[in-house]
Amino acid sequence: MFDMSTIFGDYTAIAPLIFLIIGALILPGIHLLGKRCTVTWGVALALVIVSLIVNVLMLTDEYVGETLGIVEYNAYSGAMILLFQIVLFLAVLVSNSSVETTKLHVGAFYSLILAATTGMMFVVESSDLLTIFVGVELTSISSYALVSMKRNDSRAAEAAVKYVIIGGMSTALTIYGISMLYGMAGSTDIQTIADNIAIDGLSIPLAVGLVCMIAGYGFKIAAVPFHMWAPDVYEGAATPVSMFLATGSKKMGLSVFFQIFLVIFIAGTAMSKVAGPEMQYLFAIIAAVTMTVGNVVAIAQTNIKRMLAYSSIAQAGYILIVMAVMTEYAASAGMFHMFTHVFMKGGAFLIVGALICAGVGEKIGDYKGLAKRSPFLAAAMMLFLFSLAGIPPLAGFTSKFFLFSGAIGGPDGVMYEWVWLAFIAILNSAISLYYYARVVKAMYVEKGTTEEKIKIPKPFLAGIVICLVFVIVLGVYPQLLYGFCEAAASALLI
Amino acid sequence: MEFSILALLLIIPLIGAIATLCCGGERQKAAKYVAGAFSGVTLALALYIMFLCDFGDLDMTISWIETEVLTINFALHVDGLSILMVFLTALLSLLVIVFSAAEKDRPQYFHALVLAMEVGLMGVYLASDYFLFYVMWELTLIPMYFMISWYGGPRRHYAAIKFFIYTHVASLVMLIGIFAMGFEALSMTGTMDFSFAFINTVMPFADESFQILVFALLFFGFMVKMPSVPFHTWLPDAHVEAPTGGSVLLAGVMLKMGSYGIIRVCLEALPEGAEYWQWVIIAIGLLSMVYGAYACIAQSDLKKMVAFSSISHMGMVMLGIGCLSEAGVMFAIFQMFAHGLITGVLFMVAGMAGHNFGTREIPLLGGMAGKVPIYATFMMIGWMASLGLPGLVGFWGEFPLVFAFYDFIQSEGMLWLIVFCLLNLMLTAGYYLWSMQRVLFGVETTKIDMAHVHDVSKTEGIAMAVLVGLIALFGVWPALALDYIGDYTSLLMGVF
Repeated sequence: MFDMSTIFGDYTAIAPLIFLIIGALILPGIHLLGKRCTVTWGVALALVIVSLIVNVLMLTDEYVGETLGIVEYNAYSGAMILLFQIVLFLAVLVSNSSVETTKLHVGAFYSLILAATTGMMFVVESSDLLTIFVGVELTSISSYALVSMKRNDSRAAEAAVKYVIIGGMSTALTIYGISMLYGMAGSTDIQTIADNIAIDGLSIPLAVGLVCMIAGYGFKIAAVPFHMWAPDVYEGAATPVSMFLATGSKKMGLSVFFQIFLVIFIAGTAMSKVAGPEMQYLFAIIAAVTMTVGNVVAIAQTNIKRMLAYSSIAQAGYILIVMAVMTEYAASAGMFHMFTHVFMKGGAFLIVGALICAGVGEKIGDYKGLAKRSPFLAAAMMLFLFSLAGIPPLAGFTSKFFLFSGAIGGPDGVMYEWVWLAFIAILNSAISLYYYARVVKAMYVEKGTTEEKIKIPKPFLAGIVICLVFVIVLGVYPQLLYGFCEAAASALLI
Repeated sequence: MEFSILALLLIIPLIGAIATLCCGGERQKAAKYVAGAFSGVTLALALYIMFLCDFGDLDMTISWIETEVLTINFALHVDGLSILMVFLTALLSLLVIVFSAAEKDRPQYFHALVLAMEVGLMGVYLASDYFLFYVMWELTLIPMYFMISWYGGPRRHYAAIKFFIYTHVASLVMLIGIFAMGFEALSMTGTMDFSFAFINTVMPFADESFQILVFALLFFGFMVKMPSVPFHTWLPDAHVEAPTGGSVLLAGVMLKMGSYGIIRVCLEALPEGAEYWQWVIIAIGLLSMVYGAYACIAQSDLKKMVAFSSISHMGMVMLGIGCLSEAGVMFAIFQMFAHGLITGVLFMVAGMAGHNFGTREIPLLGGMAGKVPIYATFMMIGWMASLGLPGLVGFWGEFPLVFAFYDFIQSEGMLWLIVFCLLNLMLTAGYYLWSMQRVLFGVETTKIDMAHVHDVSKTEGIAMAVLVGLIALFGVWPALALDYIGDYTSLLMGVF
């Protein structure tokens, strides 16, 4: 394969980031000079695609290396970067044709969305609490502005304010937790902390620090009880941005959990098991509560964006099973579920966005008779929702198959400890089927008020088709990405 | 990677379903012919496999998903147990398409759903890998959900979603059992392969406590599908609301997935678990049998009565399985097959009451025999076959089964349990004869508009005549099916 380090030299580890950083810096200028939304969009999309190609080449080449001693590219960060790039690609692809995104500050919009993704990528390449913190903040601050950019909608303003305040609180908690940890372990390097904890054991200040960090980053993934902002923000923001946050930003939070807690508690040494069981139970409870609250509250929603927001919360709960189980097998399954979640939830959000462009409302009631008005969109939506519910042979089923099996056992055989968690997860799966089926029923069974055909913008169609293809292909041929996830999990937990 | 004609049993209906879907708009009329042709070919293929092939040569295994931990294959297999179910699936799918030839409301979707069901059902009976088995198991839900919610009765939305979620929960519980078996096999042998051949060979050597636990999980998943009392409540709703064709497939082949799963998975892989839970299985069997029959008497809706009779008959299957003896399991399988044939006629008859008379309410009907003689004939044959008249296939499903049960309880010294079987026979004869009497004989009813009542149409008649023919054929020549079953059960009983 092609060796990227001949081009990027010492900076190969940040090669995928470079294009996005350049984009974030020059796009406002391009918009100022070109004055055409489409040109700005084209440049942004081109940079994203180049970055995507570079990363795929590096990933298939199994490149490993570091830059400046602060970031490292390996199978894990490569896979996560790939995920963020897919999300970014989908979001940028549709942004120009969406009626919801800003037409005023186009340059700033793309600049911010690229900067936010850069932050995510920076996070997954870091192995130090402070660099992780910086990356998370870059993403968060960019997202606050992105949410508020839907200017003619008062819901967006409310959402943005809520997001900023809660985000600020989470930042405060995180930095407090980090400082406690630094005080106890004398370092912000995660591996060093892990080693020191293994020697000293769990003390109360350390536990407080860890819990503060769980709470702080728990806000980012909208884990219950830190989830209240998510439905408002996803509802208020422009749909491409909601999609970006639900599928991208949330995955960043989860990857932070993986990088910090999985590494501290299971990587390498068996002696770091000191604080293991307590933390595992804490995570198990968070996971169980998150998925249950997400799914139960989703039943009551009438706005489809809010429903998808609660379903995202539930999906994050499923992935948190990994944090409770803490095995490498579960970690790879969790990463695979993140990928499939991007396609199925991303696809569902894209359809919602496309329908808003076509003048269809956000209420589930507005979807009545959709199968008559647009057979393709209805079929695609049905497949995305069934995939989210875990109906075979779609991607969501395959990833849930791996994920839930991770709670039952691992390479060492059956683990009876977490069977209860698997039961809660499957019960939740069944609950979720109820509200997904409600949308399917509205689309296919109920009669709508009009039978007028729907036309949606081409980029949306392209995005939906891409998601649909992956939802089906990953369902029947998971190795396409599962191999990367396995390599990633073993790279993370050497 | 070798290709086997078994895969065609999945591929042909799948192509058929897609082709039928394409018959929209002007070509709607062609839909039934396209669907009929594809399912006809599938049936021919099933018959060819049944009578002319050596089953051992037909296995196929294609590597599907291979990760560091687990191996999943696309594996198909056929043996004495599955071939009858495959035949039944192919037969009933074709007959449903023939029976529903007059469907006017978007016929292309209806027939495509029947074919999609056929794919899923074939997949369940042919699968030889737990992953594939589960995928196919769940796949059958979706066409049935749409069939009920598009073509069903007034409360179809409720019934469809109840059916969907109820059985989905059960299959998820089963999935946990499958995981557990996979991981247990991994810790026992060092490899994790989800194929039936591997797991079903390894699992009988697992700890007894493990087998007991996992048996319970899997058994729960299967018994909801059968369905057994007390988890039967989705069935009457689903049947009452489903269109006739949907009911035939639901009762004829879909319920058999549950008992098939119990035999294929629970008995083959977890014999010690089965021995531990034996009395529970028998208790559930007896309860379903008697409760189902008892509930039948109280029903005024003809179709609901037939639905409860299915619960009762599937209870009998459960009872046979619970004996854990060669005769018990053998005739349990035969009863599955027999019930599949008979229940097709029963639901067609019950459904036709709705289309042809305008109501299925027994109290509104009466003296129909004079008005619709052909209908009455089919009804009588169906009812008689179901209550176990000698000479028809139902007899061979019931009498030897009771005999096997008698044998078992005699050896256990619990002979008084036979009272339940007698009670069931009595109730069964009672509700069938009573309902027939009320519907067909007596004074001609004035409560419905007799001017609109019409007799069996040509296609409906053909569909039922084929089933009646087979009911008689297997009634006088049960060995035709028993030979296949006997081969299988003698192998199965080796593990006990």
